[in-house]
Amino acid sequence: MVKKQVVPFLVLVVTALWLAGCSNSANSEKESSANSAASSSARDELVYSTAKDINDMNPHLYAGSMPAQGIVYESLVENTAEGIKPLLAESWDISEDGKLYTFHLRQNVTFHDGEPFNAEAVKLNFDAVQSNASKHAWIKLSSMLTETKVIDEYTVQLVLSEPYYPTLLELSMTRPYVFLSPKDFIDGETKDGVNGFDGTGPYKLTDHKTDQYAVFEANERYWNGAPKLKKITAKVLPAGETTFLALQKGEVDFVFTDDRGADSIDVEAMNKLAESGGFQIVRSEPMNTKMIVANSSKQDSPAADAAVRKALWHSIDRETISEAIFSGTESAADTLFSSNVNYANVELEKREYDIELAKKLLEENGWAGEGIREKDGRKLTMSLYYDVNSSSQKAQAEMIQNAAKNIGIQLELFGEESTSIANRRTTGDYDLLFNQTWGLAYDPQSTIASFTSDAAYRHTTSGIPEAEELYRKIGEVMVSSDEETRKALYQDILSIVHDEAVFIPLTNGSVTVVAPKDLQGISFKQTQFELPFEQMSFSR
Amino acid sequence: MGRYIFKRGLISVPLLLVVSFLTFILNSLSPMDPAEVVLHAQGVPRITDELLEETRLALGLDRPLLVRYWNWFLSCLRLDFGDSYVTGKPVWSLLGPAFLNTLKLTIVSVVAIIILSIALGVLCALREGKLLDKSIRGISFFLTAMPSYLLASLLVLYFSVKLDLLPTNGMDTIGSYILPVTVITISYAGIYFRVVRSSMLSNLNEDYVLYGRACGLPERKITRRILRNSLQVAVSVFCMAIPIILGSTVVVENIFAWPGLGTLSVNSILSRDFPIIQAYVLVLAASFVIVNTFSDMINAWVNPKLREDG
Repeated sequence: MVKKQVVPFLVLVVTALWLAGCSNSANSEKESSANSAASSSARDELVYSTAKDINDMNPHLYAGSMPAQGIVYESLVENTAEGIKPLLAESWDISEDGKLYTFHLRQNVTFHDGEPFNAEAVKLNFDAVQSNASKHAWIKLSSMLTETKVIDEYTVQLVLSEPYYPTLLELSMTRPYVFLSPKDFIDGETKDGVNGFDGTGPYKLTDHKTDQYAVFEANERYWNGAPKLKKITAKVLPAGETTFLALQKGEVDFVFTDDRGADSIDVEAMNKLAESGGFQIVRSEPMNTKMIVANSSKQDSPAADAAVRKALWHSIDRETISEAIFSGTESAADTLFSSNVNYANVELEKREYDIELAKKLLEENGWAGEGIREKDGRKLTMSLYYDVNSSSQKAQAEMIQNAAKNIGIQLELFGEESTSIANRRTTGDYDLLFNQTWGLAYDPQSTIASFTSDAAYRHTTSGIPEAEELYRKIGEVMVSSDEETRKALYQDILSIVHDEAVFIPLTNGSVTVVAPKDLQGISFKQTQFELPFEQMSFSR
Repeated sequence: MGRYIFKRGLISVPLLLVVSFLTFILNSLSPMDPAEVVLHAQGVPRITDELLEETRLALGLDRPLLVRYWNWFLSCLRLDFGDSYVTGKPVWSLLGPAFLNTLKLTIVSVVAIIILSIALGVLCALREGKLLDKSIRGISFFLTAMPSYLLASLLVLYFSVKLDLLPTNGMDTIGSYILPVTVITISYAGIYFRVVRSSMLSNLNEDYVLYGRACGLPERKITRRILRNSLQVAVSVFCMAIPIILGSTVVVENIFAWPGLGTLSVNSILSRDFPIIQAYVLVLAASFVIVNTFSDMINAWVNPKLREDG
């Protein structure tokens, strides 16, 4: 009987040995590669995790990761808290009529491939962007820039068809008006792909394996001094558990809020890491507003009724959302733009959390009945769409659903992919959905410009009685050259959408960074889409 | 034998045709405008009607559905599956490496599953009803029932984070294989070892076993005979495990950030990257057909009776 067990037992032992053997050989190999992450002795490398591949880094298109593009490419000017500052342009002059912008370029700047950065390079880049204008409809400058003239080697002039005040602001954005080495162009163009990704920025892309990782190494010839962090690796990891475990193990040592405003780990996990002692959490100032967007143009939906929108607004306890769901990391928002946004410091009626007032508003407007209210035989039922990948949106949706029930509104929740929600926004197939403003550098102008865009908030805004007036004023404010007129116009625009309650603000979102405790110089830019890695370093 | 293979191959052609047609039709039934999907995927912030029209023309979406299917089908025969909507790169340049990565994972797992299933199956069959049999079946039942994401997270937490032995994710070293392979093996071996066990048991009651024992053959020799006969049933089951695992590594790949088919297919579905989805389904269907043919061939080779019937 003993014999019978011998063969299978041997098989088991061999299997076990084989597995163990694997782990041994793996260990020695691991020494070399995995240690390149957090535990390296040099301490001038950073590995950050990202849920999405950096994708196509072509700076004149929109598929690439913005944080990655932000460290490889640079623009003429930079948007800072103190306003527009020089970057690749040292100075500039604007003509009296506001149609000519003359830039004096920084000298001795070279692209990563060694090509010089000069007026000719600026012209080639801008011409490449302009020849693909239909993709850049969101940026008004693309429809007004008629010519880019080379004045001399380091002077370049932009000719506009009409004066346009946000010109410098739009030139400062991560894309498309940034510079790629003309050697990487294909037939003088960038719209059908490029041969390389050589920018002028502090880091160059040296390795990229799709859906696995991308490596950025310091540009030692960077005009503003070589960055101290010598190597930054973007590792593609699914958000949540995997990222959290990789952080604990030290394979990844840096995470931040991504381009879409999603964090790769939740607040609880962040706090746990900070408690463990190895990590610090750094949060930016409020960068954007997270909100519920109501479809005012969907005639058969209760969302088209301003009273319903206002009642819903009053029913949401934003303080509790801020405390319970975001552990106080995001503050409650009362208006579409927080008052630190340009032109947004406007007196607007504050809609407090007030269940009784919400009920009264509904009563007064004919929504009556026990349980779910009704008006003209129509039930007060609406659909609310949230991003299925965002745990905080789901929690908020459930909370709002419960609050709405208290005042007799029935909300049906649907978790969908971000692409699908974007598509609903475009087609108008929604009652309510979660969204966020574009963020500091883009607010208010880009978010407001998108009120008129089909792909963005046209369905949201077109159902209100003042729609015509709203669109006219948006058109005016974009081309107005007088500061006072602009202020007045923005005030009107913001008042209209606030009064109509088509954007129901929830919280002010910020960018969160989880980094090793001894990493210094963590700061933020004016945009929620980039981080200044070149300013970070490890303390010795 | 040659004729047999040829016949099998011939049957699979209409099968793949139907699969490819269905995927194409189902994808085009999706309510989303592909031009809009492409522009969203490319991150274009503001989509104008003019741009939509331009994109539709560029994608050839203005042509009738059947014409588009036919063109797509013809280029598929040349292994050209078109370009990804999202990255603009050729589908094959994305699907190829992902397929290889998943194939590596699958083959190592299937080998581990086969070894473990046979070992446990034989052990349990020989000790049927005894404590060993019962406890192995009990434990395997428990492990198989455990969701693989939970098992994977626990293994990572213990072996990678606590003991610091293995990487938590990726496929950089041989060590990276251990945890994913363990998770897949545990989920499937618990099912497959039962196949080996029950077929061993049914063989144990065959007349030839009784005859062998009556003739005084050593128990070891009898066991070997039984094993050989029982494995025939297991061959086709094990072979089908290859495409099944190929198509179901999603969870494991996601947890271990394994850059394979599962991750790619889910990402493509989420971003509505139709060319990749179509190619993925086709490749998976083809591998089912190929492996199935292959397992029939092995059986036919082992058992001449099947050959005559076929």
